[in-house]
Amino acid sequence: MSYKDVLNKLVGEGLLTPSGEVKPHRLIYVFESGKIRELFTKLIDLAGVEGFYVSTIVGTDLMKDGKIRLDYYVVFLPQEETIVFRTFLPRENPEIDSLLDIIPGVLSGECETYDLLGVVFKGNPALKRGFFVPKDVYEKGIYPLRKDAKV
Amino acid sequence: MGKPKILDLILRNLLSKPSTIEYPKKETVIEPDARGRHYADLNKCIGCSLCSIECPADAIKMTPIPPEYEAPKRNPRKLYPVINYLRCIYCYRCIAVCPTNAYVSTNEYRLATTETIYSDMLSLSTLPKKTG
Amino acid sequence: MAITKIIEIPYSLEIPVGPQHPALHEPLLLKVYADGEEVVKVEVYTGYNHRGIEKLAERNSFYRDIFIVGRVCGICNTVHANCYVRALEQILGIEPNNRAKYLRVLAMELERIHSHMLINAVMAEIIGFESLFMNIMLDRERIMKAKEILTGNRVLADYMMVGGVRRDINDEKKNKLLKLLNKTEERVKYYKQVFMEDDTILKRLVDVGIITKTDVLKYSLIGPPARASGVKIDARASDKYDAYDEVPFNVVVKKEGDSWARMILRWDEALESINMCKYILENLPSDGNPVPDEKRLPRRFPPGEAFTRVEAPRGELTYYVMSDGKPMPYRVKIRTPSFNNIINTANVYLGHSIADVPVILVSWDPCISCMERITVLDLTTGERKRMHLKELARGGRKWVSPRYSI
Repeated sequence: MSYKDVLNKLVGEGLLTPSGEVKPHRLIYVFESGKIRELFTKLIDLAGVEGFYVSTIVGTDLMKDGKIRLDYYVVFLPQEETIVFRTFLPRENPEIDSLLDIIPGVLSGECETYDLLGVVFKGNPALKRGFFVPKDVYEKGIYPLRKDAKV
Repeated sequence: MGKPKILDLILRNLLSKPSTIEYPKKETVIEPDARGRHYADLNKCIGCSLCSIECPADAIKMTPIPPEYEAPKRNPRKLYPVINYLRCIYCYRCIAVCPTNAYVSTNEYRLATTETIYSDMLSLSTLPKKTG
Repeated sequence: MAITKIIEIPYSLEIPVGPQHPALHEPLLLKVYADGEEVVKVEVYTGYNHRGIEKLAERNSFYRDIFIVGRVCGICNTVHANCYVRALEQILGIEPNNRAKYLRVLAMELERIHSHMLINAVMAEIIGFESLFMNIMLDRERIMKAKEILTGNRVLADYMMVGGVRRDINDEKKNKLLKLLNKTEERVKYYKQVFMEDDTILKRLVDVGIITKTDVLKYSLIGPPARASGVKIDARASDKYDAYDEVPFNVVVKKEGDSWARMILRWDEALESINMCKYILENLPSDGNPVPDEKRLPRRFPPGEAFTRVEAPRGELTYYVMSDGKPMPYRVKIRTPSFNNIINTANVYLGHSIADVPVILVSWDPCISCMERITVLDLTTGERKRMHLKELARGGRKWVSPRYSI
């Protein structure tokens, strides 16, 4: 099944909503943060374990809207087409389910996003402060990439 | 176990001269347009501070021209850029953004020194001193 | 009385590999847990080198960031700058001319050659083959010279600019570059032969650190480690950025998936890159000046976001840049290849002997300043040891040098 069919099917099931693109030509699909495990389990079923890999997780602090935006950049093989799965979390107490047990490759991305932005990935035992952030910063409870953080 | 494939090469290197350049006894050959120490020519500089704003390393400070030097008329604010060579990353962004192309670039790579940490003396040497 | 019972005492050793000089001169801590000689668990500890470049980039203007991201990593600075600059070009809607695109590819391929030569040399050093290390480094010097001729500096090129490159080349430089490349090609072929045939290298690398195709994708591995396991991913071939749509090249893929395949793959890619460089120099288009006037570049960036990928020597490098219309970027996210390749591969070390750990680590081509840091841990501590990776590779014998005392 090509990646387009997979995405269309997921859109049909109501898991994804198309929403514009990131330049150059990376389509964005928005999903509900609570359904992340359902989404990626279906993705593995449809595209196969060898059909895609999670390239990176980009967290952005949208301070004005009081949200944290989380983008999963997924590269579909063999065309190597990058698709953006986007979700929004509340800025206070951002939490999302971890994908570590179904896609082990997200380990580095989840650890980094937690350490720098404070997004909690529920079910990831490897999360810890000090993964990247030096001790003097994390001891004050600062997440450096938040817009109001003064480092 | 066969003989190491690389044995010939090792023997040849053993008998030849060392490849290392014996610096400072010998000069290192460097391209004439390599990015080396640079400074502002104050006859062209208009004191606009653009290089200082654009410098990615914040290595350039705009400084008043000392009173014993004749400030050119085209520099109304009497400021000139002083580069801190220890901070400078030699990206030559200042040279590229300068509206009057006032910077003089050299390929001087021997930057270890006890004196010219700043570019002020090099820059001021382009200006005439006031007489009397 | 006959022996009826044997009591086995579990003995496992915690060996921190790093953070000083785990393999390259970069800080990373691998905590390796070993049962006897066999590695049973590896943990990767990072955090020794985080400089907050992403935060720094949010506080500097778009143009100043071009030079800041070039300092993320010394070895792959042109690809970092290229990736960022292309993201800016996407936001601005600027396209450089063909000559500029070709020159960008030339700079990036020169970088790939010297990066691959470096890691192969380090591999030779790690397995104790220092004469080979010296020789490869000597020949790598030619590529550094080529980079100096092209960009004005041996390592930090600062060559990319929005709308083009920062220096043009003339015929004289072109001939010099061709000469250097021809000499290097001969040498690279020779070294590839050495890596294919030399007993020392084969014994240390073959069948060490095998990773399967499925694992590669599950763990999001990219670049040469993925291609050496039969996964054909290459951002150059799929995204066709800059002049990669016009310059002919092959994506090298190997099936073996062990450390040896990864190293040979790098030699093959270096040869491929040399051919690309020669093609570029011989077919350089002349459709105008590739050097944009930096005084006239747009100063305002419209709101927008861009996500660009580039095939760095170590794998896919991605940049996400978001602009909200202000003079500084709202968010810059850098995901370097080592970030995936090092942190996600702790399981590959299992079952190998301790002396293989450095070999496997080097075969990922780790770039810590890119990624920022790793550690491997060994549990149930009976004893603690601290050793230098080089010493570890030699089986921990003490004679190496008194400085590396256990």
